[in-house]
Amino acid sequence: MAVAETTRRQRLSEFWSDFAQSRVAVVALAVILVLLFLAFACEWVAPQDPYDLRNLDWLDAFLPPGTVGSGGYVHVLGTDNVGRDMLSAVLYGLRTSFIIGLSAGALALTAGIAVGLTAAYFGGRLEAVLMRVVDLQLSMPAILMALVLVALLGSGVGQIVLALVVAQYAYFARTTHGAATVERRKDYIEAARSTPLPTYRVLFRHLLPNVMPPLIVVATVQVAAAIALEATLSFLGVGLPLTEPSLGSLISNGFRYIHTDRTWLSLYPGFALMITVVAINLVGDQVRTVLDPRQGL
Amino acid sequence: MIAFILQRLMQSVLVVFAMSVIVFVGVYAIGNPIDVLIDPGATQSIRDALIERYGLDQPLWRQYFTFVTNVAQGDLGRSMVYNVPVTSLIFSRLPATLELVFVAMFLATALGVPLGIWAGYKPDSFSSKAIMALSILGFSVPTFWIGMLLIMGFAVNLGWLPSGGRGLVAEFLGFRTSLTSAEGWSHVLLPAINLSLFKMGLMIRLTRAGMVEAMRADYVKFARAQGLSEREVVFGHVLRNISIPIVTVFGLELGSTLAFAVVTESVFNWPGVGKLIIDSILQLDRPVMVSYLVMVVILFVLINLVVDIVYARLDPRVRLKGEE
Amino acid sequence: MTLNTLRAGVAALAIMAGATLPVMAQDLTIGLRAGPDSIDPHWSTLGSQAEALRHIFDTLVGVDENLQLEPALATSWEPISPTTWEFKIREGVKFHDGSDLTAEDVKFSIERIPEVTGPMSMTIYTKSVESVEVIDDYTLHVHTAGTAPSLPNDFIRLFVVPASIGMEVGNEEFNSGESAIGTGPYRFVSWEPKGDLVMERFDDYWGEAPHWERVVRKEIPDDAARVAALRSGQVDLINYVPASDYLTMQNDSSLDTFVSDSVYILNVQPVVRDELPQKVRVNGQEIDENPLQDLRVRTALDLAIDRDTLVRVVLEGLGTPANQLMPEGFFGYSTELGPREYNLDEARRLLEEAGYADGFEIDFTCTNNRVPGDSVVCEALAQMWSRLGLTVNAQALNGTVFFPAAAREEYSLAMSAWGTLTGEASYTYGSLLHTKDPELGLGAFNRTGYSNAEFDDLFQQARENLDDDARRELYEEASRIVMEDRALIPTVILQTVWAAPTGTLTFTPRVDQETLAYRITPVSD
Repeated sequence: MAVAETTRRQRLSEFWSDFAQSRVAVVALAVILVLLFLAFACEWVAPQDPYDLRNLDWLDAFLPPGTVGSGGYVHVLGTDNVGRDMLSAVLYGLRTSFIIGLSAGALALTAGIAVGLTAAYFGGRLEAVLMRVVDLQLSMPAILMALVLVALLGSGVGQIVLALVVAQYAYFARTTHGAATVERRKDYIEAARSTPLPTYRVLFRHLLPNVMPPLIVVATVQVAAAIALEATLSFLGVGLPLTEPSLGSLISNGFRYIHTDRTWLSLYPGFALMITVVAINLVGDQVRTVLDPRQGL
Repeated sequence: MIAFILQRLMQSVLVVFAMSVIVFVGVYAIGNPIDVLIDPGATQSIRDALIERYGLDQPLWRQYFTFVTNVAQGDLGRSMVYNVPVTSLIFSRLPATLELVFVAMFLATALGVPLGIWAGYKPDSFSSKAIMALSILGFSVPTFWIGMLLIMGFAVNLGWLPSGGRGLVAEFLGFRTSLTSAEGWSHVLLPAINLSLFKMGLMIRLTRAGMVEAMRADYVKFARAQGLSEREVVFGHVLRNISIPIVTVFGLELGSTLAFAVVTESVFNWPGVGKLIIDSILQLDRPVMVSYLVMVVILFVLINLVVDIVYARLDPRVRLKGEE
Repeated sequence: MTLNTLRAGVAALAIMAGATLPVMAQDLTIGLRAGPDSIDPHWSTLGSQAEALRHIFDTLVGVDENLQLEPALATSWEPISPTTWEFKIREGVKFHDGSDLTAEDVKFSIERIPEVTGPMSMTIYTKSVESVEVIDDYTLHVHTAGTAPSLPNDFIRLFVVPASIGMEVGNEEFNSGESAIGTGPYRFVSWEPKGDLVMERFDDYWGEAPHWERVVRKEIPDDAARVAALRSGQVDLINYVPASDYLTMQNDSSLDTFVSDSVYILNVQPVVRDELPQKVRVNGQEIDENPLQDLRVRTALDLAIDRDTLVRVVLEGLGTPANQLMPEGFFGYSTELGPREYNLDEARRLLEEAGYADGFEIDFTCTNNRVPGDSVVCEALAQMWSRLGLTVNAQALNGTVFFPAAAREEYSLAMSAWGTLTGEASYTYGSLLHTKDPELGLGAFNRTGYSNAEFDDLFQQARENLDDDARRELYEEASRIVMEDRALIPTVILQTVWAAPTGTLTFTPRVDQETLAYRITPVSD
């Protein structure tokens, strides 16, 4: 066991030194960590709880960034049309976005692994049917799938996550299946299969660890995509309403004011979204380069 | 080969059938469109009469059966909002979307491919890294947000271009297009740029990957050894070799760009099919929703089918696997 | 290409774009939030539909800008028996195809409605009609099922088409222009769904000749795009200026704004049935009783609404505090009701008296972007009630979710907009407040379970009474009762804004918000 521990540690530090070769990626990773911290500590970090309506005062509506409101503190990013502090709203929105992105990513990963491994391990007709469905879903733009699903399921955090999982699991399934098919032909799986080990053990102990690296790459990209998708849905008016905030619904609300001088209402939540999504993608890109130096795509 | 095509065709029909059931049941589950559309002054008896007239009191399976029978006769139903056949509604909006998609794809290719070639040719230079960073931006930043920034920058602050809508539309070679006038172009420019950025990122990455691979290939070494200039090597040999995958992806992406236009059309208020589907979702115009979705499913199933067949021709192993 | 040449190029493009626009004094181009769904005037009751088609078709009874009745194709009307109305049809009116209007055409139009109308059914305007009898070319008798004193109000959207088009023609023939034959001031030129409606002046129009030779009604649903189109000179006038731009425009000397009250009022709908669909919680525990049944609780909710703040801050000035379910001047508006009071202390006292001193937690559901300001008013109300000690979970939902769920009576406390489109009380009271009674066809939109025998009785009396003054009094009394009961709690009357370049147009905003080209004239005239 001790030996395994050291090699794992070695591999990790190797990975890190490869990863750190890109300074951009390191910065991006730091940004993500900071954003994650701010988002999940928003109850302590944010100047107010923007969704406890007792805290809000209409007289504070539409204060430009930097104004001191009735609460006695500076509204760094201004306030919106009901007097909500935008910095707080962005932080809480960021938390909603992260929760949706991470849970959609995790659930899609699980579902995708299940489908991909099942297909690869059992093969035959089951594999053909499952992968046919996956292929078809992959060829459809995720936004369209998600849009339709949300229209069918109704708006709400749970519904959106479900829609995103259905729209995204296929990427994981395809990747798992691809990697597992390669592994399946290798001797150790054949060997494990011929022993009386239960199927799930072969799947989880032997196949899964070997398909993880590419899945990590897909997962980072998909979390970013899920966050962006949720924002898009809310922007299109089928996602979360303003009373249930996410970055997307904040931007959507602010969009109505872009012809006036109240651009802070859409700009800041927009930048928060952009920075989050880009940072995750930059990290994902570098992880890909490290894990699979040959691939450029 | 014929057996393979037939088998794939059968699968496709099955998928379309399954998807149509899912879509129909899903749309049915949302709610009664009459409650969204009905005038508040209506009495209960008027409401009941309407529900009966639109067959909404029928059991679900019978409604689906009626729908399928009508579709089999080429009748996708009538919009509950516009009272025109759904097909003519969708086709009247299609030119606007196609126009947008073509300009966007043109931009993506015309800019993306050269940038990708450069980034692949000199992968370690600063400019290449900048290009790759840009492509990540194009990939990851949500389309609607870029669209908003474009509107803020070019329409609101600078006032150079209109912030939305389609320009003057004129008849040209049998098509109704806005691309024959300067006003039309001024309208299409921002949405097309917006729609193209994602695809441009894709084109850059694809071309670069192909370039990097090709530059390592033996034929490049031979060509160089023969004393050919770099220009001749790149344009004469490498480009020819990487153009096939690029053209394939271009074709494939046309389909997804068509569907992707939903977001851009909403941001820029472009009167295309994407805007139509958003509107019909918000108004619960059931026949339009169902027909559009079924048409999209058919489109993608067809694309998949064509790809399968093409690949099977190129690579006999696929065929063997399929026939296993 | 340098950045500068790029800029120059783009600028040149923009200038060329501007230059290609037709600039003719006789043309009027209007940018509208919504257009018609069809050119068939009997297809739907949609407001934007009636507004557009009013240019091409005339209605039997007309309305002025305050929704008061005025002669149109009918020069006069009177009840000649409890179940018969006599309409005198205007003589010398020509259709766009040159034929003359007769009573036969009106009869045809009334009878055509049930045959062709869609989901937004126009039969709501003809529901009391039993049969139509042509007495002579210019006299028409409408026999009603029961007494129908508000029939002339129902006919303000009865568009008249020539009988010669035949019962078979449908939407396609109207949309293509083939059957789009009316008697209105403009004749149809072209239209497509969501596109421009182009019309030309009809020179044989019976009424006052409109100024504009050619009118283009552009549908620009996006608020920002509509404002941009006005600023860039693509359109001469826009409707529904968003509140956010209204402020900027007031400070902008290059634009004129026109403000008007609308018929739309945002009403809070407290459910008073024994059991609430969404249970109320006290200290985190669901309780079985329904606090909203207690008049004191409803009154407390009412008293806690600071309507002046709603108007001034939340709607940025674009609204009027509402004191009943209709705007002033409508038939049945009670002048006895004063402005509604804002008194937080009294509200708290009432709540305490009702046994909810510690407040309760309740769900509050509203529409989102159905009318301007609905979602912000929703949040602001929740904010105001939270000062009362209540915990209000406000949720703004899209119409596609809200309306079907509201029809299934899934909400305990909701808010949506209601417009008294016919300008008189029976439309609103019969739908929203009368005890739900499918047999009588009343209370179809009574979602709260409100039932007051006294109110129902007054309503029934009024409905049967052909004497205008007596009927008005009965409705005014009914207005007073529902407001005292807090059956519904009106909050604000929404206002709408039009904008045009300064000093170009004169027009009187209408309470029904219709933008009618033939009522608009250039200032220079």
